[in-house]
Amino acid sequence: MLIAVDGLTRTYDLGEAKVHALRGVDLAVEAGEYLAIMGPSGSGKSTLMHILGCLDTPSTGRYVLGGEEVSSLTGRELAKVRNRRIGFVFQNFNLLPRIDLVANVALPLVYHGSVSKAERLGRAAKQLEELGLGHRLKHRPNELSGGERQRAAIARALINEPSILLADEPTGNLDSKTGREIMDILDGLSAAGKTVCLVTHDANVAEHAGRTVHMQDGAIAREDFS
Amino acid sequence: MNLLESVGAGLRDMGSNKGRSVITMIGIVLGVASVVAVLSLMQGGQAQTEAYFEELGGLREIRITNQRTNRIFMTAAERASERLTYRDAQAIRFECPSVSYVDPEISRYLTVSYKDKTFQMRVLGTTADYVFADSMPVAEGRFITDRDLDTYANVIMMGPTYRDDLFGDEDWRGKQVLVEGIPFTVVGIMEKKEFYFRGGGGERNVLEWFNRGHYIPITTMIRRFTVDDQLGGLEISAKTVELVPTLMEETRTVLSRRHGVEDFDLASKSEQVQQRAEQEAFFNIIFWVIAFISLFVGGVVIANIMLSSITERIREIGVRKAIGASSRDVFIEFLVEALVVTSVGGAVGLGVGYGLVKLMETALIMPMAFSPSILVLAFLTSVAVGIIFGMFPALRAARLDPVEALRYQ
Repeated sequence: MLIAVDGLTRTYDLGEAKVHALRGVDLAVEAGEYLAIMGPSGSGKSTLMHILGCLDTPSTGRYVLGGEEVSSLTGRELAKVRNRRIGFVFQNFNLLPRIDLVANVALPLVYHGSVSKAERLGRAAKQLEELGLGHRLKHRPNELSGGERQRAAIARALINEPSILLADEPTGNLDSKTGREIMDILDGLSAAGKTVCLVTHDANVAEHAGRTVHMQDGAIAREDFS
Repeated sequence: MNLLESVGAGLRDMGSNKGRSVITMIGIVLGVASVVAVLSLMQGGQAQTEAYFEELGGLREIRITNQRTNRIFMTAAERASERLTYRDAQAIRFECPSVSYVDPEISRYLTVSYKDKTFQMRVLGTTADYVFADSMPVAEGRFITDRDLDTYANVIMMGPTYRDDLFGDEDWRGKQVLVEGIPFTVVGIMEKKEFYFRGGGGERNVLEWFNRGHYIPITTMIRRFTVDDQLGGLEISAKTVELVPTLMEETRTVLSRRHGVEDFDLASKSEQVQQRAEQEAFFNIIFWVIAFISLFVGGVVIANIMLSSITERIREIGVRKAIGASSRDVFIEFLVEALVVTSVGGAVGLGVGYGLVKLMETALIMPMAFSPSILVLAFLTSVAVGIIFGMFPALRAARLDPVEALRYQ
């Protein structure tokens, strides 16, 4: 079991009002699974993804990632988990605008700490080549198309060989043709054994996954298998 | 991320945003330049003061003066005291082991004439020690000797200023002048003494006073021109600078015994140097204030610009955290960035400061001293400003919540 989530709740305290973003989520994800989390905005799917990605911590409940209880880790330990075990792909790519692609992709290795600069750049270049961006290494993100940027972002997410790839609306900012290309890459990664978790409100995207979790009002409403 | 790479990233960042970097640095540049100028001015002033006192006989000297007393409230013991006398000077010379030179002086304005020329001149009765004690070199001939003192000789040593007035083109050697009608043989001419303070005083020779004096044996002065042997001034010098406090104690003991009361003051030259340095330090306060304000404003500007750049970069911070940067990593990155800006600004400031020092030296004729320690100290100030004023923005960046930061538009 790669991910085991038990009775997860997340409450935002906004002074007078309390917002219950998650109201008790139980979820288990096997290694190698291709999962989609679906739901309308406000359903809690983003909050769940943030907790799964260790960017946020649950108010109550347990989250075990790869056998390690992460709901009780300190900020620094969570940073380490994000760095080594989780790869993020964002809707708006989130590449750093002032550095070139190789540097962007190598950035997680920088925070990893023990990788030499030459090795970092070498691995980043190799990762970019695998995703068909070998000719763009020294380009800045704003010199690239949306599809190329998202491919670079995937390269960055994969550079530390994470145990799970979290993709938040990965095709949301792309036209349908480029979106299909990105989904092909994610399908390929899944086929190669990578655990992939999509977060989306788009049924066409979700149907790529083998299992779809539908969220409603901070809880899992139902699950589909395809 | 290792430190060297952070520095490299900071430098690249500065290069890619030149306008902002220049504005950020101006305050630091001016602040560091002022620090360099102040330190140079202080060291220069100190060095000049020391040189001045060295010219006046060095730091081994102690000046003994009669204490001012109020005649109405004088005690019997004070009335009985003869005050400082030539006999006191001789007692110090024989009884104080730490003394090297004893330089008693009695000065009078006397009529000195040669042929048809007559002047009122300051004549100093003194001893052979005078040339050593006051570092007064003899230009021509000889100074007063112990033999002159023993024999009450009618000999006179003349200051350089009046030589031309009295003798014109004539050779002074073997000539006699009349002092209050009594013939004195001219035995030598003193060397001209000069010292010019840079800045303020302009080109006035502050030691010209010495060039206008003439010297006769103090014994002759007492026998012929005064009613007693009360001294106008008494300067003594210790064998070494370290012995100055010892000599002050020895002198105090001898004079207290002889006078029956402590009606004299002792002041060492090193104390005077100290006092003068303190006065100068006070005048330098204005520069310190300027330096402090510049550095402070520079720091505030840096903090301000960093805070606004953090607002621009909130998403970037969120992304960095999402891919594994800890709060500590972010803190270090932003602090290093501030340090890079202030260090580059500090380096430029050192250059500007050096220019300022040279300008003050030549245009304002100020005494300046420039040393590597000044550069190091001024540079460290800029680094300190970077740490102090980079701390708050860096902390703010580090504390950003990654979820919020990623959501920020």
